[in-house]
Amino acid sequence: MTPQRWSQIKAVFNGALEQPPEARGGWLRQECGSDAALLADVERLLRSFDSLGGFLDQPAQVEPEDVALAVPPAGDIDGAGWRAGDRVGEYEIVRAIGRGGMGVVYLATDRRLHRNVALKSLPASLADNPELRERLKREARAAATITDPAVATVYSLEEVEGHLLLASEYLDGRTLRAVIDDGPIDVATARHIALHVARGLRAAHDAGVIHRDLKPENIVVGTGGTAKIVDFGIAWLEHPTGTHHAKLTREGAMIGTPAYMAPEQLMGGTPDARTDIFAFGVIVAEMLSGRHPVVAGPITPAEPALQRVADRAREPDPGRRYATAGELVAVLESLATGTADAVRVRSARYWWEFHQGAAAVSYAVMLVPAWFARGQIGGLEGRSFFVATAVAAIAASMLRLHLWFMSRQHASELAWARRRSAPFIRLADVMLVVSLVVGAGLVAAQSSLDVVLLALAVGVAITFAFIEPSTARAAGLDNPS
Amino acid sequence: MKAHHELMPLVYDELRRIAARYMGRERPGQTLQATGLVNEAFVRMAAERTREFQNRTHFLAIAALSMRQILVQRARAKRASKRDAGGHQVTLNDISAPPSAIRPEFERVDPDRPGDVDMLALDEALTRLAAFDPEAAQVVELRYFGGLTVEETAEAVGVSPATVKRQWAMARAWLKQALEGLE
Repeated sequence: MTPQRWSQIKAVFNGALEQPPEARGGWLRQECGSDAALLADVERLLRSFDSLGGFLDQPAQVEPEDVALAVPPAGDIDGAGWRAGDRVGEYEIVRAIGRGGMGVVYLATDRRLHRNVALKSLPASLADNPELRERLKREARAAATITDPAVATVYSLEEVEGHLLLASEYLDGRTLRAVIDDGPIDVATARHIALHVARGLRAAHDAGVIHRDLKPENIVVGTGGTAKIVDFGIAWLEHPTGTHHAKLTREGAMIGTPAYMAPEQLMGGTPDARTDIFAFGVIVAEMLSGRHPVVAGPITPAEPALQRVADRAREPDPGRRYATAGELVAVLESLATGTADAVRVRSARYWWEFHQGAAAVSYAVMLVPAWFARGQIGGLEGRSFFVATAVAAIAASMLRLHLWFMSRQHASELAWARRRSAPFIRLADVMLVVSLVVGAGLVAAQSSLDVVLLALAVGVAITFAFIEPSTARAAGLDNPS
Repeated sequence: MKAHHELMPLVYDELRRIAARYMGRERPGQTLQATGLVNEAFVRMAAERTREFQNRTHFLAIAALSMRQILVQRARAKRASKRDAGGHQVTLNDISAPPSAIRPEFERVDPDRPGDVDMLALDEALTRLAAFDPEAAQVVELRYFGGLTVEETAEAVGVSPATVKRQWAMARAWLKQALEGLE
């Protein structure tokens, strides 16, 4: 059938359909004239049309497994056109393994070092933009300094035959996206993966690299349950301006917002470490419920402690999130059970709690000698001394009890609570030391109680200047950096 | 905007993921309408794959093409596995053998069940149709494999709904005739 013949048939067919059925025959014969073949073709088509019934009436029905088991056509993935056995510089292509946002990823063998690498061919358009190239070099260099088991190592950035190639560690595993979509992840695994990812983030942030596009697709889960983050240092390539304005299409319909981006990033702000922490929170929530938290809505978490970590991490206000990935790691480590590491941290945490409780109690007990000193100093001075000491001691004591309670009941909130209360504790402690020293001076004329007050002042100073910081560090509550 | 062939694998993956979840949920043998699957994929991808798709119809067009490929590929795989599994000889005495075992290379198609179409024959006929009327073939692809309405199809193809209706009617008539071997 030629297109010309087809349009002829089409015209007659459509015309015939507009005729009342009884007039069709006559109309057709008149229309086709001497072209008997045309008449036969149209008549056959009309007969077929009249007997259509339900043919193709309903959209195709599919069995889910048919779709799930389908594999993309082989030719489709091979964007850069390399095939198995091709030599690209010193690399030998083994096969295409995936398609990232900005290029095709190949499994290749580095013939110099006889190792497998994941070779990403970056868009050729990059090569033409000196500014982007410079930035890419800088970021790749920084990413290459990250050495952490939870981050896929970046080996090199090369230009071969006009192609920009990024070689990095080849990972044999599945993306977290695939794992999540496979069904519920048990809590221990979720915790394990979360801890790995948090450690990876800590290492990257310490190296000054922000991911900017952390999502389950960028996390590869290995057979042993290890998780590695990929695409550090190049995720920004997908949106080099660093902003993500919601896109308006011609029709005015808005295409949704990226599901793992922090509000400030969506608004076009500059992403920082806390942007990655937000994405981390979304990912952890998704691991726990199996669905993106926005879709899942309120759920009864299988693991309330981890859920709280996720919720804190994805606070819309960056100031309310964990400030650093190190903080995140500490919290997750304190949640972890069963590893030697965690036991160590747990018992250190116990001592930290004990110390908080003990300090709270002894500060309260200090009111007793202060009360006696008040009597001996006498008058307005005595009363002022006691009020100042009592306010400081009670505040310092209460704040410590609060932290003790948070540690026991809401471990995931502890870091945040500590950050918030730190200036007040410092203020109360300093005030307590000052008023004890002043009181000692005032009471010295009347009795030897001054020695007791001075000793207490020294004790308080040592507590907050030395003991507390060291127990907190041992408990992993303070990020060394 | 990226080209179709670049976006296809993404849509493909999304469709597979959604279907994989349905597998766990639905009882075996349960079928889904392509429309539902495609729309769910759109909702998910609109949220996650922000930049790549021009608009909804752009996405649906790619999804419809993906569905066609998936269905054809699976039909082909099933036919191949039937052929492989057909090691036992069906003799004339073996009257209990189902018709499909006697002619394993053909899909069993029940003409009374609407929507039960020989996928490979349809695909082949559609390819032939596309040779002389690509627009009509695309209308079929969008309507049947993507589950698009007449209006959505009109938007995707860039013609009026009335034109889509005419093309749809004629394409169906021609395809039915082609599938019945009358062409």
